[in-house]
Amino acid sequence: MPGANMTPFQNALAALGITVALFGTVVFAVDYLNEQRIAELSRIEDTITIDTLSLETQFDLLAEAPCREVSEGSVLSGELNDLAARLSYAEERLGADNEEVTKLKERYTLLEIKDYLLMKRLAKECTNLKPVFVLYFYSNKGDCPGCAEAGYALSYLREKYPELRVYAFDYNLDLGALKTLRSVLRITEPLPAFVINGKNYSGITSLGDLEPLLPTDLLATSTDARRR
Amino acid sequence: MTEAALYVTLFLALYFQTFALLTFLSKDARQRRTKVRLESDFPRVAVIVPCWNEETTIRGTVESLLALDYPREKLELILVNDGSTDNTARVLNEYRAHPMISVIHKQNGGKHSAVNLGAARTRAEFIGCLDADSFVHPGALKEVLAHFDDPRVASVTASMTVHEPRTILERMQYAEYLAGVALRHILATVNGLYVTPGPFSFYRASIIRKLGGFRHGHQTEDMEMAMRLQRHGYRIENAPRAQVFTKAPKTVWKLVKQRTRWTSGFIRNAYDYRDLMFNHNYGVLGLLVLPLGVLALISAMGLTVLAITDTSRMVATALRTQGDVPWSFAFSAPRMDWFYAPITEALVLSIVGIATVTAIMYIGKAISGAQKPIAQDILWYLACYSLVAPIWVFRSAAYVALGVRNAWR
Repeated sequence: MPGANMTPFQNALAALGITVALFGTVVFAVDYLNEQRIAELSRIEDTITIDTLSLETQFDLLAEAPCREVSEGSVLSGELNDLAARLSYAEERLGADNEEVTKLKERYTLLEIKDYLLMKRLAKECTNLKPVFVLYFYSNKGDCPGCAEAGYALSYLREKYPELRVYAFDYNLDLGALKTLRSVLRITEPLPAFVINGKNYSGITSLGDLEPLLPTDLLATSTDARRR
Repeated sequence: MTEAALYVTLFLALYFQTFALLTFLSKDARQRRTKVRLESDFPRVAVIVPCWNEETTIRGTVESLLALDYPREKLELILVNDGSTDNTARVLNEYRAHPMISVIHKQNGGKHSAVNLGAARTRAEFIGCLDADSFVHPGALKEVLAHFDDPRVASVTASMTVHEPRTILERMQYAEYLAGVALRHILATVNGLYVTPGPFSFYRASIIRKLGGFRHGHQTEDMEMAMRLQRHGYRIENAPRAQVFTKAPKTVWKLVKQRTRWTSGFIRNAYDYRDLMFNHNYGVLGLLVLPLGVLALISAMGLTVLAITDTSRMVATALRTQGDVPWSFAFSAPRMDWFYAPITEALVLSIVGIATVTAIMYIGKAISGAQKPIAQDILWYLACYSLVAPIWVFRSAAYVALGVRNAWR
């Protein structure tokens, strides 16, 4: 039995060893959990990549939009929303400057842009689709005091209108495609900046100001989020 | 920086707990737990009960002493009325005719003066104290005396728990006292005790006289005496099965006042006896117990400030973020997915710490022989203690810094 025939000094040393081992084990276990989170994010991104490629390939194969097989909200948006929530949690946990999180975020941003372009293309070709796009540009470098409120209001709107296609972009992310998107859409500060169905808005943060900008007649509400 | 302070605190807390558990498993601790109570060669013993306005509890205290399982001719009780302003004097005088009891009335001079006067009136080999709000188990005295078998032992403490805990506050203290029972037993094994509590601590009379009796000790004469005994190289033992029950404060304010007296007394006495600190001659007491005791107070204050600022910041951010989004959205069902499990190093280590504290409380229950289930008491302790303890820690630090002396009650 540990400690059974030991002097106080030996007990003190043994206690030190056990405490260090305990700390090490906990740090290792939590680190392992975080690695699993990163792996999970990567796995979801892989799935979305395949789905995106599949949809693009369908376009190419049919030489027309696969309208019958695509309905709003049924393809990528659900997975993208889930990924966004997970990524935001991972960013909060591991820090915005975590290299792996940044890499996943860049990949997620690319997937968002691809999904946005694809959905725009589908909307043009398929009359049964009338998606509402919200492009949201935020910063978490401390220079956008209203971004937290705006992001939260958008999460609520996404819940209330499941068909709303919200694409959130970190304005400061060092990614060529994002810079091009910013320039094409003429996004400028102050943040937060929005593009709602092609129209630019800037500096809006509250739900009260944001919701009237949505063409709500095109969006069905979820029963859950209507609860007030 | 704040995160580093949190982890240092967690490390030291877990280190101390691990050390305590290892010591509990040691042969020395086992021998103390199994020591047979004294059943022959009974020495002369005097129990001094200093009283100051104790009219409601003193009868119970005296009756419990009279019920002690000990030869009558070897036991004397000295009841010292330290200038009470209530009916204590009248109640004490009822015992005047009892052959085992001496009653002394004196002007108010503090607990230490009452104990010293009582000690001067006896030729007993061992003198004990019992606060007038405490009660002893009949077998307690024989348990205590068995631990005086080594001549280096100057004092033996008992296993103190709360008398009839009923309210949340009392039950919280009951759990805390059980941890105290276990830790006193464990630390006595390595001579690491720095207090010989008022309820039923016993002393070798010759040593107390040699050291000049009790002092004011910043209103914690039991702490001052224990540190003085340690400075002179004596041992302080613990009798884990010697049960004594004390009345716990019934209101938060009374508890805060009591603990402010204890905590400020600890800070002041630790300063007076700072030569013991980090001194390897005093072993576990000097290298571990006293430094960690001081550090625990600093950590308690630091962590409280941290908790308050963090919580305020979180609430402010949440309110700002909430904006005009309906509150029902904020309280929607949490996502049940391992991915979102809020597991951090601090959380896991805190859970380990709480589990160890709980184990120590159960050890206290087992070795003191307490019968009643303690799960709820532990829950009250875990839920409430950290909310009230910072009050007396800050108050004590302020009192020491400003030189304020506290009242007894």
